[in-house]
Formats: sequence, C-alpha cells, structure tokens
Amino acid sequence: MANETVEIFSDEEKDILQEIMNIAFGNATADLADVVDIYVKLSVPSVQVIEIGALPEYLRTTIKTDGTSNIIEQKFWGNFKGSGLLVFPGGTERDLMAILEDQDREDISNIQMAALEKGGLLEIGNILIGACVGKVSELLDTFVTYSPPQVLQGDTNNCNFLIEQFDPSQTAIVMKTLFNFKEKDINGFLLILTNHESIGWLRKALKNFMDSYE
Amino acid sequence: MINKILIVDDSPVARRMLRTSIPKDKGFEIFEAGNGQEGIDKFKELKPDVVFMDLTMPVLDGYQATAKIREIDKNAIVIVTTADIQPKSIASVMELGAFTLLKKPAKAESIVEALNKVEMKLKKLRENK
Repeated sequence: MANETVEIFSDEEKDILQEIMNIAFGNATADLADVVDIYVKLSVPSVQVIEIGALPEYLRTTIKTDGTSNIIEQKFWGNFKGSGLLVFPGGTERDLMAILEDQDREDISNIQMAALEKGGLLEIGNILIGACVGKVSELLDTFVTYSPPQVLQGDTNNCNFLIEQFDPSQTAIVMKTLFNFKEKDINGFLLILTNHESIGWLRKALKNFMDSYE
Repeated sequence: MINKILIVDDSPVARRMLRTSIPKDKGFEIFEAGNGQEGIDKFKELKPDVVFMDLTMPVLDGYQATAKIREIDKNAIVIVTTADIQPKSIASVMELGAFTLLKKPAKAESIVEALNKVEMKLKKLRENK
C-alpha cells in the first residue's frame, strides 16, 4: 500500500490534502457548534490511498465496534466526487439525538423514538459531512452537489455495500478524521472517500492551492 | 520590534503557508517546530518575540504548549492559528493567555495586522520595563 501511495500522490500532495482536511473539518465542527451546544475534540487527520479491493477490509478494521455502527453517508459530485461517511458506534444514537433536542422524549413510542434518532443522525451527518466537503471544495476552488444523507445501519462486518460506487480495478483516497463529542463522550470519525476519477483533477487543484501561497 | 518568529505546527504545509504569508521585507528570522513539545524546546532555546501556534498536534497539543510557554514567560506572545474555531476552543486558548487567534488558512492581511499589534504590545512591554 505504501508504494501505491507514493505512485498516486507525493508526500507533499498528501500533506496538502491533510491540511485541507484539517481546515475543512475544523470549519465543520464550528458549523455544528453554531447549531447545538457541543464541543468537538479534534485529532490530526490522515490521508491514505487504498486499492478498492482492500477497502472493505480497511473499513471493517476502521469501523470496528461490537459489530454494529451508525453510518451516515452522503455522496457528492463534481470535479471532486465521492462519499462522506460519518461513523458512530452502535447504541449512541439516543445520545446523539439528545445533542440536538433538549426536550424530554420519554413519553413517545419506540417507533417514534427510532424515527427521531434517525433524524438526529441525519442532521449531524448533513452538517459535518456537508460542511467538511464544502470547505474542501471551496479551498480547492470548485463546487460539488450532494445527495441527501442516508443512515446505513448495517452489519459492519460486511462493508462491501459501501464500495459499490468504486471500480474494483481502481484506487480510493481515504481522508480520515477522528473526533470526540466531549460532553457525551462519543467517539466517531469522518471518512471522505474519493475515487480514481478525481485524482488527476485533485492533483492539479492541490498545486494551484499551494501556488497561491508562493 | 519583532526579530524572531517561531511557527509551531505539525503540518509542513501549514508552516509553509504561514511562512510565505509573513512579510519578507521586515527581516524577520523565522523558525519552525513540528509539535507542541518541540515548540516549547525551541521557545526556550530561541526566545522568539512571537509564536504562531497550531492547536491540534501530536505529542503535545497547542493548548498545553501555549500554557507551558506562558508559564515559562508570562509576557510570551502566542498567536494561535487553527482550523478549530469552535467558540469553546477559542475561549479556552484566550483563557490560557493567547494574544489572538487566526482562523486557518490565515490571510496575509490578518497576519500583518496581528504582527502590527504584536509590535505595539512589545513596545509597551519595553516601555514598562
């Protein structure tokens, strides 16, 4: 995989992408803090280039929990094309909903509660993925359009469903940021997956970005 | 007057972006560190007039490094440059004694403005000595 990374992106290009991801996720958390009273502890992002064939295994080991995770996915299109995946451990959906709602919801049915929890996941996903991808696009001087976010509550031992959009003969760029919702002590992470088609454009956009600082 | 500037950031790209945005005609000596601990070590060694500090870094983050630097020198001037612009993050670093905070990517004009304010602060500090 290391050789593959060197072939696709230079170390400098990876560093630029990493810094752009850092800026973008920082902005996204500030957007979330505008809407709800939450503090998000950030970590240093990482950028990897992974062969599609190895992606399910990467996702399986990255999304490792007790077997279930809450995954919010939002696709985006443009010069920069791919998917944002926001991943929380299974069982945290009620706490996540509580971040958005300050009302007591104990009087409602389980079905209504499940719908609210799903709504909470979608809203958090929409803000974090949308703001992060949007900022990456802004910094790289392009724009993207988005699909509506969707909650994938699947068996995370089988991540093949996440990679259907990728050509198996190609590579994916995986940008990953870990975070922690401090008050709720919920860990999660954001993955931005972009496919081979974006690589040529991305390389040029990264060069233009840095050239503006020469 | 500012002579030495220390940039503390784990990202070589972020350091380069900042370095190229600092005016070149002022003759500043610019030094770099790759994490908070290295930043503290270089602060002790070089005694810079101003430190640009990132927050999210491995080994030692910018919060701890800012606190330590201000402990070493209560007049140390630390400008936080960060992508983490959540209100609570901003409040925390200002409580630690940061001079100001610049949102990443910091624009050249904001950097110049901040450095002008640092010049004024240094002048006052020297007058009060």
